[in-house]
Amino acid sequence: MAIEINNRMGLAGVKSDYVHVAGRKLEDIHERLLELEAKGEVKVIHVKEENKPIEAETLLGWKKKIPTNKLWHHKSCGQCGNIPGYPVSILWFMNKLGLEYVDERNQTSCTAWNYHGSGTSNPVGLAAVAVRNWHRAYELGLFPLFHCATTFGDYKEMRNMLIEHKELRDEVKRIMHKIGRELVIPEYIVHYSEWLHVLRFEIAKLKKYDLSNVIVTIHPACHAYKMIPEDCIYDKEIYGGKRTAVSTGVALALGAQVADYSTWYDCCGFGFRHILTEREASRSFVMDRKIRPMVREAHSDLCITQDTGCTTTLDKNQWIGKAMGYTEQIPVMSDVMFAALVCGADVYKIVQLQWHTTDWRPLCEKIGIDWKKSEDEYKAYLEELRAGGKTVNLYEYPKE
Amino acid sequence: MEYDENGVSIVPSEFKKEIFEEAKKDFRYEEYVRGCLNCGVCSGGCPPHRFFDFSPRIVLQKMKSKDPELIWAMMDEYVWACFQCFTCAMICPFLNSPGGIIAILREIAVRRGLESAKKVLKPYSRVLLKLTAYGNQLSSDMIQPDFFPDWGPHIGYASADLAIKRKAIPMPTLQVTNLAWDVAPEAMKELYDIFDEAGVFKIIESVDPSLYEIIEDIVDDVRNS
Repeated sequence: MAIEINNRMGLAGVKSDYVHVAGRKLEDIHERLLELEAKGEVKVIHVKEENKPIEAETLLGWKKKIPTNKLWHHKSCGQCGNIPGYPVSILWFMNKLGLEYVDERNQTSCTAWNYHGSGTSNPVGLAAVAVRNWHRAYELGLFPLFHCATTFGDYKEMRNMLIEHKELRDEVKRIMHKIGRELVIPEYIVHYSEWLHVLRFEIAKLKKYDLSNVIVTIHPACHAYKMIPEDCIYDKEIYGGKRTAVSTGVALALGAQVADYSTWYDCCGFGFRHILTEREASRSFVMDRKIRPMVREAHSDLCITQDTGCTTTLDKNQWIGKAMGYTEQIPVMSDVMFAALVCGADVYKIVQLQWHTTDWRPLCEKIGIDWKKSEDEYKAYLEELRAGGKTVNLYEYPKE
Repeated sequence: MEYDENGVSIVPSEFKKEIFEEAKKDFRYEEYVRGCLNCGVCSGGCPPHRFFDFSPRIVLQKMKSKDPELIWAMMDEYVWACFQCFTCAMICPFLNSPGGIIAILREIAVRRGLESAKKVLKPYSRVLLKLTAYGNQLSSDMIQPDFFPDWGPHIGYASADLAIKRKAIPMPTLQVTNLAWDVAPEAMKELYDIFDEAGVFKIIESVDPSLYEIIEDIVDDVRNS
């Protein structure tokens, strides 16, 4: 059982100039990518002025340009299938901020969830899928934005492998030629949470509710900051640069209290295969290593996530815990869903919390959000659709 | 296949040696297996180490032993305990990647169609089917109360009246029930070509031949559409 201590506040706002390199002396892969481009070995999807980039720093102090405009949405299987309010909240903010993007059908899964769960792929397969999707963004003149942290981790890894191994490049080039595409690599692999992070002060201007009495705990996603850790945003003003800054930065900008808990570094228990076929391991992990410490140590009102599997695992596995005497329960949602909620997005039509299992209504009430009104309006909307009404979309496909 | 007096199959030592050689010649091997001081930091931070007989330190030590018998001993359910979170890789002072080694060993297990891999992956077949046949992995109609009873009574919400609830999602790509998003056939066809060329279909055939037959039929239908 985790040690019970009083609420640990204030760590999130610690400032430091110390760069945490953890003994790493790694080559900047970005420079090597540009060298390959100069040799004509690869094409690069550059971050251009029209992408309105905002610069951030990564773990080793390297600069990373985060494009904020003219983006191609690389969706997540688990988000779209199970947490629809996740991608909808991203699009909602893009509309609010007047940004251009494309969300289309011509995209496959990154296939990495399956790979990490079953081993039924290989570097050639994974890299070819990555390049296929990158090339689709490239031919539309857009920069790809990856919604899922496993996609983000996998694509960072594939980018590095493609840069470091000519044999892999040649094999992927051969496959791309067969499907009528080319080997292109984005200048930066960018996760939506990084996009949200660099825009957090713009987003905070849209805030509708006071969060000064709301305590949140952050669950950073393993595949965001443990896979290719040097390519992840760190900020000296957030946790003194000792932990990844995304999600925490947004919560702080919105005025929430970010509390610390002893098992912040632990995974969620998803395990890729375990969440489907060995769920007792996942749910034990959720309750013992995440939810209970978040509630007991930090008195958290909400668990904020930055990934697909984490959101599902942490949300869905709390109910069964009650059978074993785990009384701690907190709602779970991603950083962008929380931000949308706080900025006035509809609870049902946009943030889509109705799909979540752990009760989120007390949180809405604490913030001052009238979820009942939203529920009534949503029910009426479903009736309209049943009667043949048209969906009010955030986005329509580009005309052919 | 030979069996001992207890009915357990006897695996020839040559085969075990082949498995090790296959792992060792993988281009990622040298990057994942470096020096190891046996400090145990990786196991201290490893999530499944808390719940399973699994230790990334042991994985690395066995690989470094270069003993095919020890490495073979991990090829049963042991390699399938890993969560693939890569905590071990991030915190290792020597930048080893036990999680990466596990990925290599799993690839070998499925490529070789090992019985342990077949057994572990049998309940995973729905996901394999969805991904390889349709191009994304999880659909809203997979979330059914009888499959997820431990997710509580509210999970029924996610399966009842699904079509209209999905229609209400304000992204046209998401207004389907049998896929996470509505994947265009041209994207599926490109994915099939990639799976053909990268040997992914062959891997699935070796680990689950009957599932592969179903996938093959769907792939043929989409390719001919």
